Amino acid sequence: MPLKFGVKDGIIVGAAGGVLWGLVSMAVNSATGAFAPEAGLVHDAVSFTLGGGLFGVVAGAFIGAGARFIPFGNIYARSVFTSTLIWLLLRAGGAMLSAIEPERYHVLTPETLQGLLLSALLGAMIAGVWSFWKGPSREDGDTLKA
Amino acid sequence: MERILGRENTGWMIIGAAALVLIASAMVVVAFGMESVAPGVHDAFHDFRHVIGMPCH
Repeated sequence: MPLKFGVKDGIIVGAAGGVLWGLVSMAVNSATGAFAPEAGLVHDAVSFTLGGGLFGVVAGAFIGAGARFIPFGNIYARSVFTSTLIWLLLRAGGAMLSAIEPERYHVLTPETLQGLLLSALLGAMIAGVWSFWKGPSREDGDTLKA
Repeated sequence: MERILGRENTGWMIIGAAALVLIASAMVVVAFGMESVAPGVHDAFHDFRHVIGMPCH
């Protein structure tokens, strides 16, 4: 039997991976210095945890729901593809807002590049939590079935 | 054959789908800092939005 990664599993794994990802994002930003935080550490810890959890749940649900449609069998490839696609869609919306209200929505290249890499990291972390939760790959690999 | 879509399951599926739509909407509100939808969300998630590369002021 192939490993089953349904929507329900995706939400649980996505929430856990997303919360971790939020906190890791804080650390990554501190290391890169792409954005100088304006709020305090505690405030950011809470907002990054909540925001990461939200993104993780949505990404996890889409990974589970899209198992039949996403053209990758490997869980890492599928998760990274899905989370990056979600980020790109949101970023496209942001670009539209920026075009409509350029004085309010500024596009900054370092932050955008960091966001793109972090979105890929979100997928990798969700897949990592899944692998940790369900154990190492079985002989049938990481094949997902919706 | 296992029955997947029974009446009970359908009810839970609808509730789950509605919850997911709500969460996805919350994600969009957070990503764009939509003050008109949720007052205070812009400031609450300002740093998060910048770090993940969403355009902001």
